[in-house]
Amino acid sequence: MRGFSYLRPGSPDEAREAARDPSAAFLAGGTTLLDLAKCGVAEPERVVDITHLSGLATITVGDDRITLGALATMSRVADEADIRTHCPAVAEALSQAASAQIRNMATIGGNLMQRTRCAYFRDPATFPACNKRAPGSGCAAIGGAVRNHAVLGVSESCIATYPGDLATALVAFDAVVHVGERRIAADDFFLLPGATPDREHPLEPGEMITAIAIPASPAARRSTYLKIRDRQSYEFAAASAAVGLELAADGRTIRDLRVALGGVATKPWRARGVEDALRGKIFEPETVKRASLAAMEGAVDHGANRFKIDLAPRVVARAILTLGGLA
Amino acid sequence: MTQPITLTLDINGRTRTVALEPRVTLLDALRDHLALNGTKKGCDQGQCGACTVHVDGARVLACLTLAAQVEGRQITTIEGLAGADGGVHPVQTAFLERDAFQCGYCTPGQIMSAVACIREGHAGSDAEIREYMSGNLCRCGAYPHIVAAVRDVAGAAS
Amino acid sequence: MTGTDTKTKHGDASDGSSNSLGARLSRFDGPDKIRGAARYALENHPANLAHAVIVQSTIAAGTVRAIDVAAAQVAPGVLLVLTPDNALHLDSASNWLGAPPPDAPYLPLARTVTFNGQHVAAVVAETLEQAIEAASLIRITYDATDAIPDFDDPRAGEGQPMDPMKIDWGDAETAFAAAPVRIEETYRTPREYNVPLEPHGLVAQWDGDALTIWEPSQWIDGMARTYAEWFAIPFDKVRIVSPYVGGGFGSKALACAHGAIAIMAAKMVGRPVKLAVTRPQSFTAFGGRPATRQTIALGATREGKLLSIVHRGDNETSVDGFAVEPLGAVTALMYATANLSSRQNIVPVNTVLPGPLRAPGENPSAFGIESAIDELAYAVGADPLAIRLLNYAEEDPHARKPWSTRQLREAFAVGAERFGWSRRTPAPRSMREGNQLIGWGVAAGTYPVRRTAGEALVRILADGTVEVASSSIDMGTGTYTILAQTAADALGVAPDRVRVKLGDSSLPRAPVAGGSQLANLMTGAVHKAALAARDELIGLAINHPSSPFRDVQANTLVIADGRIAAPRGNGPAVPIAELMRKIGREQIEVLRDTLPEASRSDEDRYKNFTTVATMRSPTDGDYSLHSWCAHFVEVRVDADFGTVRVSRVVSGIDSGRVYNPKLAESQWQGGIIMGIGQALLEEGIVDRRHARVVNNNLADYLIATNADIPDIEVISVGIPDPHASALGGKAVGELGIVGVAPAIANAVYHATGRRIRELPITLDKLM
Repeated sequence: MRGFSYLRPGSPDEAREAARDPSAAFLAGGTTLLDLAKCGVAEPERVVDITHLSGLATITVGDDRITLGALATMSRVADEADIRTHCPAVAEALSQAASAQIRNMATIGGNLMQRTRCAYFRDPATFPACNKRAPGSGCAAIGGAVRNHAVLGVSESCIATYPGDLATALVAFDAVVHVGERRIAADDFFLLPGATPDREHPLEPGEMITAIAIPASPAARRSTYLKIRDRQSYEFAAASAAVGLELAADGRTIRDLRVALGGVATKPWRARGVEDALRGKIFEPETVKRASLAAMEGAVDHGANRFKIDLAPRVVARAILTLGGLA
Repeated sequence: MTQPITLTLDINGRTRTVALEPRVTLLDALRDHLALNGTKKGCDQGQCGACTVHVDGARVLACLTLAAQVEGRQITTIEGLAGADGGVHPVQTAFLERDAFQCGYCTPGQIMSAVACIREGHAGSDAEIREYMSGNLCRCGAYPHIVAAVRDVAGAAS
Repeated sequence: MTGTDTKTKHGDASDGSSNSLGARLSRFDGPDKIRGAARYALENHPANLAHAVIVQSTIAAGTVRAIDVAAAQVAPGVLLVLTPDNALHLDSASNWLGAPPPDAPYLPLARTVTFNGQHVAAVVAETLEQAIEAASLIRITYDATDAIPDFDDPRAGEGQPMDPMKIDWGDAETAFAAAPVRIEETYRTPREYNVPLEPHGLVAQWDGDALTIWEPSQWIDGMARTYAEWFAIPFDKVRIVSPYVGGGFGSKALACAHGAIAIMAAKMVGRPVKLAVTRPQSFTAFGGRPATRQTIALGATREGKLLSIVHRGDNETSVDGFAVEPLGAVTALMYATANLSSRQNIVPVNTVLPGPLRAPGENPSAFGIESAIDELAYAVGADPLAIRLLNYAEEDPHARKPWSTRQLREAFAVGAERFGWSRRTPAPRSMREGNQLIGWGVAAGTYPVRRTAGEALVRILADGTVEVASSSIDMGTGTYTILAQTAADALGVAPDRVRVKLGDSSLPRAPVAGGSQLANLMTGAVHKAALAARDELIGLAINHPSSPFRDVQANTLVIADGRIAAPRGNGPAVPIAELMRKIGREQIEVLRDTLPEASRSDEDRYKNFTTVATMRSPTDGDYSLHSWCAHFVEVRVDADFGTVRVSRVVSGIDSGRVYNPKLAESQWQGGIIMGIGQALLEEGIVDRRHARVVNNNLADYLIATNADIPDIEVISVGIPDPHASALGGKAVGELGIVGVAPAIANAVYHATGRRIRELPITLDKLM
């Protein structure tokens, strides 16, 4: 890891000012920044420690929205009873992420800034080619060992999977990322790689996530997060789904459905095709299973990751059916 | 800019002052600079849990924590787990009795994690213990005995 | 139910009632380990310590064109940049069989690269952080040539036949061709890695021509020999200290290139040097289990009685080294058959030289034959357990010798009973619960009893306590504890009055802690030395003019509970300490070895303890000596996702006499758990373009977590085996893993109707 200077600002404004230089990096939980610094991916010259700032870790559960302070830890949010009631998918996504220790460290804001686990991205000493790290250098992953790489949202420049769990749930329920006064829809907060995979978020240097708001909805209240992986715990998703369901008064017509996928795409992936196919339909297993196939519209595999195209719709279907009591 | 900075750390109830480069992790500070070798380095990249310590009572990974970051926080390592009387913590006793380790290298991290797991209220069933102890890898395969040890102490406490 | 202990029964071999050998004592090294007070090798910080960091190659084949060290050399704190250009000359060392080395220098830093991740350079700096940063500044350019990434590459060819592995009896090909029922399939295992939680590394310190090494070691004397030969210094000038070993599983038995680099660096900078191999580097700093493939053809009667086994196996090796994973080890041992043929090739590819990983040979071998026999069971409509009993080998079918003991039938019986095997419905996919397909599988395992002579020192001290000393090691295997129990038994003292010192080459010598031989050979040596010490003490008690027994007129005396007394209880019962005081002795010290009388020269002793040349095979003698086990496994497979979870394991285990059931059960369970990981998770993933293992870390090379592991019941069915070892034990440490992967694969077949012949059994293979 390269050497850096360490700053502990006293206020958010001071923090933003200190991090305005592109060579600076915010340090919150440290689980991404220090990990990537050790890999040689992140080489900050200045580390701005925001963990001591006060007032940024508040969790508020109101009638119309849940607001999570950016510095609230993943474990605190996961264990918050109100969140389990108002948006269980968020709590479940968090409690299946990483490990208990990492969830105690990592913050909600920092979690959104988590970067891909692509083995080629994470090993710059061996694989100089990575458009995400070094724009224009190529992609070492394409043609390589790609079992964990994305099948949705890929480009010729990058097939790196977005690895997070929380953001998948956030995207499903139209969460809004607060960056000071700026408001960014969660879905827009994550950029497709296209020709510029190095640009993952619409943030400028010095901009700091301050909170995340999740609008209240019946679908959020009746939601779940299903994560499938090779190992039972402490692993990123092979495929996951955040799903919310609202049935009409008849108890069988789907009024609202939210579906987002994790582990299969270059960003948290809202599966609007599935939502559209099922909204207004009668809730029954065959319909759900058939509609879930729409989640893979536009999917492209690179060989070893082909199984994700089969797996993801089944994860979606199971999650929806579980919510409706038919799994 | 990578000049050492002087840090005052509260470790196991004692104040320790040490001059370190800002990039030094809490793990390396403990092991290489403060002669507290009980906290283990297994992967140095947040993937094994051997370096688990408590910061303000919460279990965290010392390998992904900067020493500078925890100034002003209370740090507890395996060496500080025992009571002031020098005895051992009930979780330590349970690990010994249940033979919840073999080579012993992951053990301090397992024990620190287990103490926190019980305190968090995540030791309510075997399944819950297994899940909430999964951040601590054990290559010798002591898992069933670790679950038994945690269950013993959690059961006695409830 | 309060835990695993209460669910565990003990066989005849472990009564559990005595206070010493056979008792369920907690491990004696435990109190230090639970307090974080056990000091592992890299936690020794001699004054003026410098830190070394290695740089590895990023190509798999070719030559180093240039190494630009300019930036590293001037980086803060840097003391030395070590490259092939300025490396010290080292001699080559003999191999572990003691074969003389080639007359060429040993090059721990490569100029000619033969695998991706080979050590090329190193940096020594004042602090670890400085060394890491400077290492990242080294720029290496290569002239790369084509690499062969794995043995599936056509350019790898068929490899080299291993003639010593050839096994033949009867006419296997003809018998197979004529058999009424024939199955023939290929079984594969990927590269697997030891990944002990304690990373490899060492602290090296020179004092003149004397070298002190703190390094986790499974074989202190063997490593000391290699270091002495590399650096051309006398063997007795090398001291290795390794009182605790944070896991090895085969990977810490031999000196590695990083050891040479650290020792060389310490010499060059004139300071002690610490070198810790990073977790990613550890995947190529030494080799794990090589990838294997084996084709097994079984010919049988319509009832499933074996007529013939034709077995062909290959394993990967490195392009410039020699690694054999004996794939016929179980194939030619487990079942009675009139005809068998087994062959093995090793196929050179651009990889680090593979090394031993828990039950090398037996483990993948069992995956093959124990999967194949299961396939045969379904082919003839037999129960998988019944077909194993139908083909039970009443003697060693290869060596044609009687088994010393083989409690495998008992293992099957008790395992089946505890598991509830009789409730199994035979058809695949017949035991469903909701989305979960349930499968029950069985497989057997075995591991040979290997024997090497040992040595031990036993000292009775003035205070009546006892010291046992040996350069053997405890890597969680229980050596500290069982040697104390052994000495306590022989001397008639309580185990907690015995202090065991291990892991220091200044102590009496010991052979490798590998091949599951150490417990048996060391208990034998300690038993012998302790009895001799006891005899000496009794002799003094009878004969010494100041002894209180001088006038008892006994021919002998007994020692129990730390007191010495006449056998019939006539006369005093004197505490050992009191006797020692009365006879004016500070200590009674006895050194004994178990070398054959004819092989006790200095040269013989050196060979015995620093090579494996004197290790006796399991069939050397009148009997065939092996441990046995039978694993019963339940899996739950998600019908949609293909995820496999092991939900129950019951294993019947024959390791002969068990010296400490509590610790042996832990090792058996640990082996089973490693087997679960092997079956479902573990796989070195090779990027074939670069011949590089890209999942070289613990997040991507998946080993089992706590949540992957269910309750495991292990039941000892062993009986003391006097032919196997002095005190009746057989192999423990490597046994448990053997047969686990096929038991799981068989259960997966029962659950799903899908036969997976290539490990690991991941969800994509079942979808």
